[in-house]
Amino acid sequence: MTAGSRSARIQGLVAEEAAGRGARVSVLDVCAAAVAALPIGGAGVSAMSRSSASHPLCSTDTVSERLEELQLTLGEGPCVDAFTRGSAVLTPDLRADDVHVRWPAFAPAAELAGAGAVFAFPLQIGAISPGVLDMYAIAPGGLDTEDLADAMAFADTATLILLGTGTGGPDHGGLADLGGNRAEIDQATGMLTEQLGVGLEEAFIRLRAHAYAQGRRLADVAADVVARRLRFPPDPDQTDNDT
Amino acid sequence: MDQQLLSKTFVELADNLVADFDLIDFLRLLTDRCVGILDVSAAGVLLADREGVLRVMAASSEQVRLLELFQLQNDEGPCLESFRTGRTVSVPDLRTEAARWPRFVTQAHQRGFAAVQAHPMRLRNEVVGALNLFRSTPGPFDPVDAPIAQAMADVATISLLQQRSTDRSNLLNEQLQNALNSRVLIEQAKGKLAERLNTDMETAFTALRGYARAHNRRLSDVARAFIDGTEPLTGLVL
Repeated sequence: MTAGSRSARIQGLVAEEAAGRGARVSVLDVCAAAVAALPIGGAGVSAMSRSSASHPLCSTDTVSERLEELQLTLGEGPCVDAFTRGSAVLTPDLRADDVHVRWPAFAPAAELAGAGAVFAFPLQIGAISPGVLDMYAIAPGGLDTEDLADAMAFADTATLILLGTGTGGPDHGGLADLGGNRAEIDQATGMLTEQLGVGLEEAFIRLRAHAYAQGRRLADVAADVVARRLRFPPDPDQTDNDT
Repeated sequence: MDQQLLSKTFVELADNLVADFDLIDFLRLLTDRCVGILDVSAAGVLLADREGVLRVMAASSEQVRLLELFQLQNDEGPCLESFRTGRTVSVPDLRTEAARWPRFVTQAHQRGFAAVQAHPMRLRNEVVGALNLFRSTPGPFDPVDAPIAQAMADVATISLLQQRSTDRSNLLNEQLQNALNSRVLIEQAKGKLAERLNTDMETAFTALRGYARAHNRRLSDVARAFIDGTEPLTGLVL
C-alpha cells in the first residue's frame, strides 16, 4: 500500500463535493462525502471545547441536525463521550440496554429522531481537539473495518479543515502534508506555543500559515523550528500587553 | 544472559500492563529494557497505522529514532522488510548489504550502527509492526537471544491489545488510533517543554517521563495537563 493512499482518496472525495457546490472546501463537504461513501444515513460536525459552549457546525439532513442538537442540549451522547475520551464511540444498536443505561436521555430521543446506530469520531491532533464528527444509520448495524478506517480518515480531513488556513493547497501546508513522519510537526507546534504565547491550536494554524505563505512544505518548516533555525516572533500586540 | 535480570525484566513489563497504562511510555520502557537484557546498543518499535503506513512509536535513543525515520522516508531497510515479510531479518554486518539498502546502510553507519536484527510484531495473521535491535559493532547475533527478542516483540503486540476499547471487532483499529494520538500529544508536550527549558527533545522527554513516574501518573495525562497549562511540573528534574 502506498503511503497516505486512503487519506488522499478521502480528501479527493471531499474536494469533489466542494467543487460540486462551487465553494471553498468546508466540513459540510466532509459530511456529504462521508454519506456518499459509507453505509450511513447522515453526518454532522459539532465544534467542541473544554472551556466554552459547544455548537453544531453543519449536518447533512434533519435527523443529523436533531442528533447534534440533542447531545448539546442534553450534555450526553456519543459525541460528548468521543470528545471527552478522545476516541471513537461506536454504537451499532441504539436499542441495546447498555446504551440506554449509558445515555438515558439521549438514547430514546435519538431513536425517536430516526437513528438506529450512531458513530462518533473525535476531531483531534494530539491535544488539539476542535470538535466531533457524528454519523448515524437508520437501521442498526456496525461499520466494517474498511468503513471504520475511511470514517477516521474523514474525521482527520475535517480536523484539518476546521484548523484551516485558507484552502491550503495539497503541497504547501495543506491537507496532504500531515501523514508519515510527523513528530517534528508536533514538536514544532509545541515549541510555538511558547514562542508565540498562544494555545496549541493557534500555534498549529500559525505553523501551517507560515508554510503556506512561504510556499514550503509543512514538514520542512517544522524541521527548521525544531533545529532552532527558525523562530516565530511574538505578536506585537501580545508584546504590548506584556509591557 | 543474566537469568535473574531477564525474569526481573518480564515481571516489570507485566507489572506495567495494568489497567489504563500508557502505551507510548510502555513501548519506550520496552526498548530501554531490550538494550539492558540483549546484547544490543539501541532498539526501536515501528507500528503500522490504519493505512498500513509504518510510524516510529518508540526508540531507545534519538539516533535510532532518526535512523528508523530515515528508513520509513526512503522506504528501504531491514525493519521494513521484516514488517512486509513477517519474518525475522538478521543482518550481522551491514557493510555486506550496501547493494541491497544503499541509503540505509550509509545512514546507519553515520549514526554508529553496524548490525541490525528486526523482529516482526505478529497478531494472529496480521503483522502490525516490528521490533528492531541495533548494535554498534558487526558480528553475529547470539542465537540464544533470538527467542527472547521475539518474546519482547510479542509483549509489545500484547500491549496494544491491553488498551481498552468499546467494540471488539474494531479493536486494533481503535487501539492504534488512540496510540497514535497519544504519541502526537506527547510530541507536542516535548516541544513545549524543550522550548521553555531550552533543551533538546530527548532531554525534555526524559524529564517529562521522570516526572510522570515520580508522581505515579500516566505520561499522556501529564503531557495533556502541561499543554493545557494546568500542570506547572513543579520539581521537574532535568
